[in-house]
Amino acid sequence: MKTISVEHLCRVEGNGGISATIDGKKVTEVKFNIYEGPRLIEQLTIGRTPEEDVSLAPRICAICTLSHKNAVLRAIEKALSVKVPKKTILMRELMHMGEIIESHSLHIFLLALPDYLGYPNAIAMAAKYDLEVKIGLEMKNFGNHIMKTISGRYIHGENPVIGGFGKFPDKKDLLWIKSRAQQFMPFVLKTVSLFCELDYPEIPEDETLYACCDPGNGKFGFWGEKILLSNGESIPADDYKKLTNEFVVSHSYAKHSLYKGKPYSVGALARINNLGERLDGEAGRKFKKYFNEHWKKNPLYHNAAQALEILYCFERIPVLVKKILKDENTPKIIPYSVKEGKGTGLVEAPRGLLIHHYEIKNGLVSNVDIITPTAQNAEDIERYCYIATQKLLDEGQEEKIRDRMDLVVRAFDPCISCSAHSAQVRQGKTDEWKSKLETILTHEEPAFLGIGNFRQGDDAVGIFIGKQLRDAGQKNVWLESSTNEMESFWKSNAGKPVIFLDAIDFQEKPGTVTFLPLLYALNNSSLVHKFSPFVTGPLKYNQLKKSYILGIQPASLKRGKTISPCVKKATREVLETLKSRQKKNRHFKDKE
Amino acid sequence: MRIVKLKKENLFPFLEVISKEADLWAPVKKYEDKHVFKAVEDFSEIDLDYQRTIIPPRRILLPPKTNMFEATQNTYKEDFSNVSKKIIFGIHACDVNALVIMDRFYNFAYDDPYYTRARENTLILGYSCWPDEHCLCKSTNTHIVTEGYDLFFSKLDTHYLVWIGSSQGDDLIRKQPSLFNEDISDKDIQTYLNWQKEREDAFQAEIDFIDMPDLIELKYNDPLWEELGKACLACGSCTNVCPTCNCYNVYDKPILGKNASKIVRCWDACTLENYSEVAGGENFRENRADRLKLWYTHKLQAYISKYGKPACVGCGRCIVSCPVDINVLTVGKTLSGEKVDAFWKRFNLQVKKEVRK
Amino acid sequence: MENSKLKIGIYELTGCAGDALLILDCEKELIDIFNAADIQSFVMAKSDNIEGDLDIALVEGSVTTEKEIEELKDIRQRSKIVVAIGLCATVGGIQARFLDPKEWNERFKKVYGNIEMTHTKPVQSKPIDAYIDVDFYLPGCPIGKEQFLIFFTRILKGNPPEKSQNPVCVTCKYNENDCLLKKGILCLGPLTEDGCGAICINHNLPCAGCWGPLKTGNRTSEYYLLKEKGFDVEHIKKKMANYSGTKIASFLKELEKEKK
Repeated sequence: MKTISVEHLCRVEGNGGISATIDGKKVTEVKFNIYEGPRLIEQLTIGRTPEEDVSLAPRICAICTLSHKNAVLRAIEKALSVKVPKKTILMRELMHMGEIIESHSLHIFLLALPDYLGYPNAIAMAAKYDLEVKIGLEMKNFGNHIMKTISGRYIHGENPVIGGFGKFPDKKDLLWIKSRAQQFMPFVLKTVSLFCELDYPEIPEDETLYACCDPGNGKFGFWGEKILLSNGESIPADDYKKLTNEFVVSHSYAKHSLYKGKPYSVGALARINNLGERLDGEAGRKFKKYFNEHWKKNPLYHNAAQALEILYCFERIPVLVKKILKDENTPKIIPYSVKEGKGTGLVEAPRGLLIHHYEIKNGLVSNVDIITPTAQNAEDIERYCYIATQKLLDEGQEEKIRDRMDLVVRAFDPCISCSAHSAQVRQGKTDEWKSKLETILTHEEPAFLGIGNFRQGDDAVGIFIGKQLRDAGQKNVWLESSTNEMESFWKSNAGKPVIFLDAIDFQEKPGTVTFLPLLYALNNSSLVHKFSPFVTGPLKYNQLKKSYILGIQPASLKRGKTISPCVKKATREVLETLKSRQKKNRHFKDKE
Repeated sequence: MRIVKLKKENLFPFLEVISKEADLWAPVKKYEDKHVFKAVEDFSEIDLDYQRTIIPPRRILLPPKTNMFEATQNTYKEDFSNVSKKIIFGIHACDVNALVIMDRFYNFAYDDPYYTRARENTLILGYSCWPDEHCLCKSTNTHIVTEGYDLFFSKLDTHYLVWIGSSQGDDLIRKQPSLFNEDISDKDIQTYLNWQKEREDAFQAEIDFIDMPDLIELKYNDPLWEELGKACLACGSCTNVCPTCNCYNVYDKPILGKNASKIVRCWDACTLENYSEVAGGENFRENRADRLKLWYTHKLQAYISKYGKPACVGCGRCIVSCPVDINVLTVGKTLSGEKVDAFWKRFNLQVKKEVRK
Repeated sequence: MENSKLKIGIYELTGCAGDALLILDCEKELIDIFNAADIQSFVMAKSDNIEGDLDIALVEGSVTTEKEIEELKDIRQRSKIVVAIGLCATVGGIQARFLDPKEWNERFKKVYGNIEMTHTKPVQSKPIDAYIDVDFYLPGCPIGKEQFLIFFTRILKGNPPEKSQNPVCVTCKYNENDCLLKKGILCLGPLTEDGCGAICINHNLPCAGCWGPLKTGNRTSEYYLLKEKGFDVEHIKKKMANYSGTKIASFLKELEKEKK
């Protein structure tokens, strides 16, 4: 057993690492570690005025600061029924373009390109690739300049406020931006051909689900009221939780997201996959020229997608400036007086879908939920690293694993500060486990394994539920009663998803039900002792990734054969949920 | 001295003529009720109906931050890029008088080339005004001008009476004499005298500055200073908006990649904490009360003792700027034993009350 | 010449990485920066990092995990000069606002549940001077470009940096802004370190205090002033606390006492 890891991911924003554990010829585990500590930003924003939150929340991240600003404004303005005029929206779009250009050019030229040209950093690369470094720096500077002109400064600008802007920029500054964007065009086109023609390795290709905002009206863009998935599904902003079921992962202060129990990807590549057909002008032509099957499954094409988006922005900026200048009599700030409401703001940050949700009561923020792109990508980052590592291992190219993982992680352009801002999950609805469980059961036919000791009070619940499930006619239910049964359990269920039923001490209220991916539970030191090695030993990474643990908080683990009333109540709820699912499945099968 | 007449409609044509060879600075509106001096190209921006600018016109001569020179180990190159031909139009009497005081400061012992050169290249075109409740200039006797201007415009109904205060002012008139006429009628004179009388009567704020040096001496250890110090936010605003404050700091700004430094001059304020800090970290006036005492002693005692008049021109800027109402009016009145209504006063009462509790 | 270059390390603890990013934002000076100094470690910008003895370490971010405490102590040991850059390093950042460890624990549980982190244990956010001696402070959220360049160039040439002890009001007045506090708007300019260029007030918006609290700021007077102007006491306190990290704890405690 050995571990290959990148302790400190370089040339990414924030503090993180990636590691793969290898057992012989098998990869048993891949972890995207986030060392950045917990900042509890959402907790900090609760109890503050909406105006304070507009200033505080973007501090989550420096590089996505204006995406956060746009998202918090969209959410709060929705909550407070503030209708901002067209000019304000156009100016916000312009500043967003600044951020996209700044962030993308920083990423592709200065952070990612050295990988492909074989340098440790961009400055070292400058000696031979002078023009590329210069274009990168100038482009980034231009993006920054736009951000500063509209938002007030490079990072954490305070000019955008609820209802509009503190101050509108001067006409001459806007005209300068317009003409500069036009001057840049030849270099932008060079950028697109450079990154779209780069030789991206085929490992790790694999299909995934792409998610991004739908800007509506058949247009390309960076915000909208709906989430569009590459399978054609569409989710309204307010139902964002359907997409992002966040889980706490013990090896990271960032939370991971799954859609219907499966990882998905967000970011430039997701946008180009989902919305690329909508690009027109030069960007549209380049899309038609370069887009192919690889873009649909290779995360390394994030770099190419970012280059295409830079082109889109440079084409869009002159149009935006023209429209902004047309509108001269717009008030700077729209007054508002509403004190209550809730709203969700969807924005495409440079690295993907960003969701801000606010609830406001008596003029103070009462609930906040922020879901960042990197938190959503974390699962796919691990998955793609797993695929790459396994493939390279199979092909006997073990020496390439470390660099390839590095390449994959960096392609996602992860923003670690963002992801570690911490979302609020477990505090959510107490019966959230039901919907999670239902989702799994709709898509999979898992085996159930009841664990526990029926002589030790509430520790018996696992066995108890298992027995009852069997009695109710549920197939493939196993009990941790004897080693014999366990052996045949592993034999007949190799590779299948497993749902473990057990009493687990989450230090919650007794009787609380928690449903977690097994992987997370195993990485958690306070939970791991609950599983004897023979229970989880034969599990391979692939199976591990698909398996879950359904735990009930025990009240007492004293010797004895009685189960506490609150735990019994929870047991009934679990059984009912499982039974109703069973009925639905049966009904479904009968129909067939 | 000569006085000529200018029809109102001839003002812009006149400005047009004189601004050909110099930058024209004039008051423009920044907020609904606040003005600033700005180099104007479009004369429609000029707003002569203003009370006082946020920062006095000394800013035009010596901006808050200027580069004095660039130095290497053995060379230095002076930077006079701020010196250019300028005309400041629309300065009120108090500010004209303040510039006279500034002239004296910067030529007092040594000539300050950065100020003097800028000043030599600047013409002052004063403009008449009407007092509001904060104008103290009648008490400081700076509501009229006797020196320090090249032209001074007094607004009548349809005309301006233009005082010519210097030969350079006269040169300006001569650029297009046809715009002016010299036949000032008896009626014009009467209108002017009436306006002047009414203006004299319109002043509301008043302080007796004659007694100030003695009062400050007598009350040097008065608890008043501690009270002021307790409330003072030490924001430095009173100093930065004062038209006769002139202290500055000098610091090095090394140039990256070159063995050279820019030597920068920056406004400083004795009301700020690090003003009195010296090498070694010692600070003579860490206490806010001591710093305020220094400021007021300078304005109301030292200068009067030396020149017979205060270093305050009554412009009222400290009155409209200080968030806690520490200003020449409330401090002066308190020194004279009058009761004042000011935040710093109420704050001290409240703190005392709470301590007693 | 090569050997005489100062060895510099730029480190990020927990924060938004804005201060390191701002250094990268000095596009026009970036090559000069890399030429003038021997940048040994800068994880955000390069991958050939060396962790050895340093002349100057620039540290951004607050200390939020046990791993970071160790990392920080190690940096201190290796460096002649340690500079705290940015609000998180200088005062602890917005995340250091919880003064009561009990409250922090509760909040942490709310967000992450009772899960125990396997990779590194979390601790309550603190500025870096809670654990090590700091030679210089460069405040800001994030630090300013010009301020950073002056500071950096001075320190490279062996000159001690200028101490900044002025409130935002000084630059605000240089920029000829009208005083918002005087107008009755809750502006924290007088209590906040200068250096941002009074950017918010230039945009007609009140100072939020993001450069961190001015050590000598007269909080008591402004507190009463705002109270007199009709602001809710709790609101004033929250506003003052938002960007003050752990640094105005005694003032806030004093207010709590008064209430009782």
